[in-house]
Amino acid sequence: MSKFATGKGFAVTALVAAMSLSGMANAGVTDKDILNDQMTTGDVVSNGLGPRGQRYSPLTAVNTDTVQDLKAVWSFSFGGEKQRGQESQPMVKDGVMYVTGSYSRVFAVDVKTGDELWQYDARLPDGIMPCCDVINRGVALYGDLVIFGTLDAKLVALDKTTGKVKWKKKVGDYKAGYSLTAAPIVVKGKVITGVSGGEFGIVGKVEAYDAKTGKIAWTRPTVEGHMGYIWKDGKKVENGISGGKAGQTWPGDLWKTGGAATWLGGTYDPEVDLLFFGTGNPAPWNSHLRPGDNLFSSSRLAIDPDTGKIAWHFQTTPNDGWDFDGVNELISFDYKDGGKTVKAAATADRNGFMYVLNRENGDFIRGFPFVDEISWAKGLDKKGRPIYVDENRPGNPADSKDGKKGKAIRAVPSFLGGKNWMPMAFSQDTGLFYVPSNEWAMDIWNEPVSYKKGAAYLGAGFTISSLNDDYIGVLRAMDPKTGKEVWRYKNYAPLWGGVLATAGNLVFMGNPEGYLMAFDAKNGEMKYKFNTGSGIVGSPITWEMDGEQYVSVVSGWGGAVPLWGGEVAKRVKHLNQGGSVWTFKLPK
Amino acid sequence: MKIKTIFTLCPSLILSVLLSVPSYASEPAEDPLSSVMWDYNRQIFLGDTPYVFDDRVRVGVPDFAEDPTQVPVDVDASAFAGDIQRIVAWADLNPIQHIFTYYPHPDVVPKVSLRIKVQQSTPVRAAVLTKDGVWHVGGNLLAASGGGCTTPSVGNADPYWESHLGETKSRVFQLADASRYKFRVIHPMDTGLVGSIPEFFIQQVELRDTRGSALVRMELSPPVSENPVITFDVAKQDTKHHLWLRDNNGNEFEKAL
Repeated sequence: MSKFATGKGFAVTALVAAMSLSGMANAGVTDKDILNDQMTTGDVVSNGLGPRGQRYSPLTAVNTDTVQDLKAVWSFSFGGEKQRGQESQPMVKDGVMYVTGSYSRVFAVDVKTGDELWQYDARLPDGIMPCCDVINRGVALYGDLVIFGTLDAKLVALDKTTGKVKWKKKVGDYKAGYSLTAAPIVVKGKVITGVSGGEFGIVGKVEAYDAKTGKIAWTRPTVEGHMGYIWKDGKKVENGISGGKAGQTWPGDLWKTGGAATWLGGTYDPEVDLLFFGTGNPAPWNSHLRPGDNLFSSSRLAIDPDTGKIAWHFQTTPNDGWDFDGVNELISFDYKDGGKTVKAAATADRNGFMYVLNRENGDFIRGFPFVDEISWAKGLDKKGRPIYVDENRPGNPADSKDGKKGKAIRAVPSFLGGKNWMPMAFSQDTGLFYVPSNEWAMDIWNEPVSYKKGAAYLGAGFTISSLNDDYIGVLRAMDPKTGKEVWRYKNYAPLWGGVLATAGNLVFMGNPEGYLMAFDAKNGEMKYKFNTGSGIVGSPITWEMDGEQYVSVVSGWGGAVPLWGGEVAKRVKHLNQGGSVWTFKLPK
Repeated sequence: MKIKTIFTLCPSLILSVLLSVPSYASEPAEDPLSSVMWDYNRQIFLGDTPYVFDDRVRVGVPDFAEDPTQVPVDVDASAFAGDIQRIVAWADLNPIQHIFTYYPHPDVVPKVSLRIKVQQSTPVRAAVLTKDGVWHVGGNLLAASGGGCTTPSVGNADPYWESHLGETKSRVFQLADASRYKFRVIHPMDTGLVGSIPEFFIQQVELRDTRGSALVRMELSPPVSENPVITFDVAKQDTKHHLWLRDNNGNEFEKAL
């Protein structure tokens, strides 16, 4: 009978509530499901295939011998006129895929058929201020909820069966430049999110909410001088100023609009029980306005998931003057060193260096370039701090004759980074990291700027250029123990999608030209490619259903490259937009 | 199904049901508005429950819908006061037929006025489900030039709503035997039928007393006009009331009246 004829009387409502409560106990996503996600191949319930974000699957049916037979089984279109960058990683649970599209849309799809089960479109105000395309990177699952962040900086929890809103919380003021694009993560029953908006002088923060009710648990600002808060029995209690006090690494009042946006979300390692969130550039870009290290911008922060306190930090680019956000994912992994297990974590930074840290305390173990050229630093010192090339910092506008434009310099990598948002993968079989990277340079100069709410807060001008005629993108296999590159795959257009490693000795990734590609994890030989019809800037996943291994990836060209790409735009302007999710398997 | 339940639970009602509605099952009455959509919509909104066409359910519409995005409609079921389970209203020829479902408390005069969008000339109906399990269906023909549901909301061209979403203006009028609450809330009420503008509308409306219990519960659908203007009549009471609203994006608004 229809919903109107049966009505929504009290008895029916109570019955439905009772059913969904019992359903939650049986079928909903639990903390344990999330912690075990990497080894439970029947589902994908976390961003990064496990809270550590290794993007490694133990599945082997699709392997270097069989992958050439991989066939598309269905493709699902996001539809509408909103075909912009699709940077989502799908999730799969109990036969349903949950995937996000551009403009804060969520789709639930039957994974057997590709049929849509429901769709949720957030109604966005016109005044949203995403700096770098209207993308979304995916959902979090918990209990019977599908949780995601919107471009107007709201966290929304949807009923996994109906797509209806269960709770909604405002994380930031979109009119001040806040937005949400990263996939939230769930740790110990809390949904944890960062914020975007570093180009608008927001103050970065990490926040935890009760995943079931949406009640805020704690907030931790990522700029020195701002007070953190924790909620105890519903009361907001001061929880310590980030960095102890204001004014240590920032001059004057600039910390009040200091940026350090946590726009890429985070990872979690249950072994050391710490969240790892990266922070973006300090605001504004013009570094001469803010002498000092500008903590905690361009850093990795280890945060206690229960209290929101910062356990340690590691800053990759102190006093950043090149927009080298330090947001890149920090992936926990172990390796043996002389018989001893090292609890490490690795990250490949926008600034061109890859870092291996002790994940218990943040100590620097080693660092090395993962791109061919780095102009702004001679190397890293013993503590991992860059040894700057002073003349490669964009000049101070105050030193120019009219005070309007500082000396322009050419710096490598460009502000879009040796590696941008696209997550790398770690294979437990080869012990290698597979790093999607780009080789490009920029001309950059500083200009005077002052903060105005809701306006771009850069104080810089820039253009971007490629280093090589035949490629910009490079997928690299990097050995975290030696810093050596084991193999590389070169791509004409810049790479902008995530990577997936599997025990089938394969590495999957997509490119802007539209191909989903699979490489031999040991030697980089390309074993498979399939054109999905639009550029791939999302992250592939794999899972198992009815004894068969499936691979899915979102297709739809966009992201920051076509918006900011300068000279590079010539290489990508012919690429057409799209918006779909493709699913593959081997023929029976 | 409902009839069966009544038979088993309250045998004393059997007689009254049989007496008052002897002919529904055998011979369905003819739609007085001769709508091609009657049977289709009846299935959706009334299902297989017995019904009668009943003039005591009054649906007031203007002679002509001058602005198809803002058509005033009054539904008056006061003839059934105290005997109502719920009221459902719909427009036969709208792309989204359902307008509202209304659950009145016995202390409320079951009258509601609001404005709706219409896509073309259409019957506008209200069906009242009384406690004996019978639908009483009233309706009226509304003449319109149409297009109201697929026109972008006015708010869409002007970002005013973004900073005023959910702001509510209200007034209380003292009538002879009731208090009339009239309110207007800023909301685009997008139907989802306009390209690139997702469905975005107030879904739940409750008029609550100080203890938080609802005197009126309404479920709205996107054909309710942009910046809804809704009027309720409440039997005279000393207690204060407040309005609670929630839209399909999960935004909640509250306003003391």
